[in-house]
Amino acid sequence: MLPYLARRILQGAIVIVLISVGTFIIIRLIPGDPTYLLLGEGEIRISQEQIDAIRRRWGLDRPYHEQYLIWAGNLLRGDFGDSLIRRGIPVREMIFEAIPVTIRLNVISLALALGVAIPAGIIAGVRRNSSFDYSTSVGSTLGVALPNFWLGLMLIVLFALYVPRWFGDLPLIGRIPPFGLKSWQGYILPILVLTTEQMAVLTRVMRASMLEVLSQDYVRTAYAKGLPNITVLVRHAVRNALLPVVTVIGFRIAFILSGTIVVETVFAIPGIGRLFTDSIFRLDYQVVQSLVVVLAVLVVVVNLLTDLAYAIIDPRIRIN
Amino acid sequence: MKQKQTLTRRDFLRYSAMTGSAAFLVACAPAAPAAEGEAEPAAAADEAPAAEMSGPKQGGTMTWVGHQEIAGLSPAFMGPTVHWVMIVNIHNPLVAVNEFNELENVLAQSIDVSEDGLTYTFKLHEGVLFHDGTELTADDVAYTYDYYRNPDNGAPIVGSFTGIGSVEAPDKYTVQVNMDNVNAASLASWATVPIVHSAYHAEVGEETYSTAPIGTGPYKLREWRPAEFTELEAFDDHFRGRPNIDVLREDIVPEPSVRMIALQTGEADSAVWPLLVEDSIFLEAEPNFVNFRTLANSIKHFPLNNSIPQLAEKEVRQALMHALDRQRIIDELWNGAAQVSHSNLTPASPYHHSGLKQYDFDPQEAAALLDGAGWAAGGDGIREKDGQKLSFTITTITGDQARRPIAELAQLMFADVGVDVQLEEAPVATILQGMREGTMDASLYNWTYGSAVEPDPFSTLHSTGGNNFAQFNNARMDELIEQGLQVVSYAEREPYYHEIQEIFAEEQPVLNLQFDEWMNVFNARIKGLPEGPKNSLMYQQAYKWWIEE
Repeated sequence: MLPYLARRILQGAIVIVLISVGTFIIIRLIPGDPTYLLLGEGEIRISQEQIDAIRRRWGLDRPYHEQYLIWAGNLLRGDFGDSLIRRGIPVREMIFEAIPVTIRLNVISLALALGVAIPAGIIAGVRRNSSFDYSTSVGSTLGVALPNFWLGLMLIVLFALYVPRWFGDLPLIGRIPPFGLKSWQGYILPILVLTTEQMAVLTRVMRASMLEVLSQDYVRTAYAKGLPNITVLVRHAVRNALLPVVTVIGFRIAFILSGTIVVETVFAIPGIGRLFTDSIFRLDYQVVQSLVVVLAVLVVVVNLLTDLAYAIIDPRIRIN
Repeated sequence: MKQKQTLTRRDFLRYSAMTGSAAFLVACAPAAPAAEGEAEPAAAADEAPAAEMSGPKQGGTMTWVGHQEIAGLSPAFMGPTVHWVMIVNIHNPLVAVNEFNELENVLAQSIDVSEDGLTYTFKLHEGVLFHDGTELTADDVAYTYDYYRNPDNGAPIVGSFTGIGSVEAPDKYTVQVNMDNVNAASLASWATVPIVHSAYHAEVGEETYSTAPIGTGPYKLREWRPAEFTELEAFDDHFRGRPNIDVLREDIVPEPSVRMIALQTGEADSAVWPLLVEDSIFLEAEPNFVNFRTLANSIKHFPLNNSIPQLAEKEVRQALMHALDRQRIIDELWNGAAQVSHSNLTPASPYHHSGLKQYDFDPQEAAALLDGAGWAAGGDGIREKDGQKLSFTITTITGDQARRPIAELAQLMFADVGVDVQLEEAPVATILQGMREGTMDASLYNWTYGSAVEPDPFSTLHSTGGNNFAQFNNARMDELIEQGLQVVSYAEREPYYHEIQEIFAEEQPVLNLQFDEWMNVFNARIKGLPEGPKNSLMYQQAYKWWIEE
């Protein structure tokens, strides 16, 4: 077990270093200079000499390898550097303020999605070709097909604008704001959007996995032994059918960023998705590089945990 | 104040259509100017006096929405509009350009300019307090100017101090600015320089200051969460009196249609960054909103790289102007909310030249100009000369769905006269660098080439200007720009700026399309708004406004 963990951690460290170098190069391959963004919309008179002075002040005139070594050295000491755009704000503070927001949204939506998707997938798999199965299929197809961006805007229009006009405040909930997380009601719509998509994906995976497991010999054997239906399903079918779901969950955590960029932008939520896109478009190098490294670490850790989870769920898998 | 209670089919269709325009990248688009031009008060503004009979009231929170995060709150961040609205409420400059395009004294009680234009003497108001209770003195002004004009400090507003030799504080309430050379744009430039608390700034440094500023403005910082919101609270001891509204808040909402909904639901009282034109016009018709239409200083234009062979000849650029049906673009793509631009200067400027050469939509004239310049149609219909195709690329800002259709329509219009245009998208930082360095052919955005207050186009039309996107290099233009800054009176300056506009119209370094109507929508519960403003600088007057539910 320990040699396996040590090997995986070493592999992960190499991956993270390679990713940090790759990100550093790629972000600088994007033509453009963050200096110009702070100059505003043309009201401020500026000459080339003055622009050069600003670049010098921010260290943008240094050779790339020097910039990388300074950044990587600081990173190893836990210093992510300062944002080029939000002067005076440490990147670490920006990232660790944004991450909890995104994690909160995703954990809640994933929990809700699992709570619905696993039972729904099991029932749909067991009652194949029933009306429930058909409804689940249609619902999950819709959930996957609806773009988050469109669904988010439609929910805002409906719940923030028209529902209050038609019905006034909702019972127990009150008013749902169109954006932001100023109150707990602000979480409702973004979580609904994220849950819809995750629920749809997980339901389909769970159903397909159940169908496959239910056709296995060991399930037939379990029934032949006279085990009660519920025992066969829970102990033999569902447990094995969960493996692909765990894989998908691990996979989705790795792609948490791409899933929340749109939702965070539409709902004006200051999470990592928005921080990432804003930073890319403003060429805020330090933020992009540091954020990618943090996410790379997250993905490496989640992948490791996913592999460990396989062993817990499926006794046939051994970690060595 | 009650909202409409019905949802019509048209409304739903409208919102469904709206989703198509809700690009999530809009946050990065620096589309338009910080200051605007000529007035056109609109909508329910004329109803305001009756509602305001009861007079100013204290209390309440006014929320406005902006499109991108507020990166910092020090004077160095004055450029972007979403920053500016907060910084000018925390600080005060010596002088300011008000919403009527007039320079007015703020911290300065009086200004004396020497006859040779080389010495500016400011007498400060006495008893002006910073938010920490200390009094503003001439040392604070001298420190602010010296700090931000020092190139080593890398402040983006460094260009505002061009020509200053030294800044002195001969006594507690007198500031003397000594110029190395005359710069007629000085006062207008200094209007973008708020004064900082010198002792505090020196102690904490610029970077910390930008997160926790202390100014003399009507509001002091309560909380700043750059990507989420910034909240200011009334400063009781403000030298012009305590503001009426207790709290000013700016929420950051990247998605334009959500900003619109925020206004409709009452979550926000105003959008400091304009809504989509159609949304502003929609709200203008609603009784519970006031929309101010002011003419932008900036031109919506295609900056052209004059250094590439396809666009180097003025005849080609003139032909492109004739090929564009600019009124059609305004009518079909901008809801008619703009004026065709014939000059680099807004019609709101007293220096605006109304007798300039004009480029009517005339494809035949365009073809004749191109023929005359030797650009003949090739086998594929695209004109060419000496083996060079008359083809270039217009790069628009990624996700800029408001302006991209203009480029698409222009592409068709240019094709009609045998000019091939390719369209690409890129992030704004990429475009700004590409245009500045001449590595990009053309783009499409709004930019200022001289404003209603100050006609100087140094940064955009001078060959050494920092924003000379056209790579324009015209010795006479350089000479005029330099000379125009050496004289102070309107009468002396006018000939220079008229000739500058004539050269602009003749050479067409850029394809100027239109001056947009800048629209600032307010919830009608906000009272005390200006009547007939000529620009959107009204937000610096928020201390005069009040809320009436």
